[in-house]
Amino acid sequence: MSQWFLDSSFTLLLKASGVTLYLALSSLLLGLLLALVFAVLEANSFRWVAKTTTLLVMIIRGLPEILVVIAIYNGIPMILNAIADGFTMHLFITDITIQHNIENFDISPIICGIIALSLLYASYASQTLRGAFKAISPGQRQAAQVLGLSKARILWRIELPQLWRHALPGLGNQWLVLLKDTALVSLITVNDIMMQTLSIISYTKQPFSGYLMAASLYLLISVISQWFLKKLEKKSLYFEQGASYAR
Amino acid sequence: MLDKLLNYTSILIKGLPTTISLSVAAIIAACLLSIVLTILLNSQHKLLIASIKFYILIFTGTPLLVQIIIIYYGPTQFPAIRENWPLVWSLISHPWMCAFIALTLNSAAYTTQIFYGALKAIPQGQWQACAVLGMNKSQTLKIIMPYAFKRAISSYSNEIIFVVKGTALVSTITLMDLMGYNQFLNGRYYEFSIFMITGGIYLLINGLLSAMMRSVEKKALAFETP
Repeated sequence: MSQWFLDSSFTLLLKASGVTLYLALSSLLLGLLLALVFAVLEANSFRWVAKTTTLLVMIIRGLPEILVVIAIYNGIPMILNAIADGFTMHLFITDITIQHNIENFDISPIICGIIALSLLYASYASQTLRGAFKAISPGQRQAAQVLGLSKARILWRIELPQLWRHALPGLGNQWLVLLKDTALVSLITVNDIMMQTLSIISYTKQPFSGYLMAASLYLLISVISQWFLKKLEKKSLYFEQGASYAR
Repeated sequence: MLDKLLNYTSILIKGLPTTISLSVAAIIAACLLSIVLTILLNSQHKLLIASIKFYILIFTGTPLLVQIIIIYYGPTQFPAIRENWPLVWSLISHPWMCAFIALTLNSAAYTTQIFYGALKAIPQGQWQACAVLGMNKSQTLKIIMPYAFKRAISSYSNEIIFVVKGTALVSTITLMDLMGYNQFLNGRYYEFSIFMITGGIYLLINGLLSAMMRSVEKKALAFETP
């Protein structure tokens, strides 16, 4: 093995790690937003809205992650196709025809990966957020209502800041799961750590060393995340520590 | 239309034996292995504890997909194994065996975390009570472990479902499980209904499993709820 090749395969793997991290971080952001939407919908006073959301979350949690990723990768072009061809929905009294011209049917696999991973993340994180909502004492909400704050303001200014403290350990664990799930997007042709490793192995013919390298990269990212999360958790509990000292 | 769906279902069902045999075998083996590891984690042997912790770190810190692939494709790099240990070679060149080993080692790492955590959560008073009665370590563990395991059932049932979902990854090492037949059909007919049927079968399995585990938990914890 020439030194040149080793160097270039190392830089290729570093670049692929960037793709993996980019995927994981964007899925985290989108997933957190979706999780919040799910959690709020599940607490909705319209019962059927809450029930449908709960059902959706349960279905996603019961499906293998690889199935969700591949189904979305295959399903999105099919939906676009259907919209471009035009179809008619029969709703009780009226028929609604949906037809829209779409020029570009190629959805990048990275986008599909982000959609799938954020859905998976959101379905687990929404449960954590729901628990965290319940952990906030109802007195906080009542006090805010008495002060005449609007519903949205109560959510953003009163509940959310307190939410993170309760939710952080759960969300952190799910981030570690998300990180490992990103390996699945190599199956939908995203050039992440796994895919890059595969193409390096096709040159070197050394599968064990290659995948060992990939595994170490994942392990490194996981360990750094764990260290960072521990710091973050300590910071989020700062006020409670202060309170216990004061007593 | 219905004919077509029935046809898809009848083909997908052929993958069920692989999915179920792998799940059951891996769940049982992982459970036994993690009980042993939990006992060993309670020993005084520092090197042993450190190596178990290292094993847990590695298998919980890397994706299951990498573990499955490295166990199946990795050994081909070392032709010496084929020459010197033909028996080992025939074992690890069989995809079912590799998937079984990977799933077991992966699940055992997570399950050990669950069991050990449950053991640590047992109040100190219980340990002290055993010590006062003059019990040694193994006698104490015999009393406390069943109690801890009963408390761990709810997190353990999540882990069982993760194993079933994890078996879907074995289609990447040429095994024809449910997901494998799903890919086969999708490649041939390219229809979304195939994904829906596959998903439905997985949901059915996981739904039945979690209902079963809930009733087991209820029975096991019956002594706690008046």
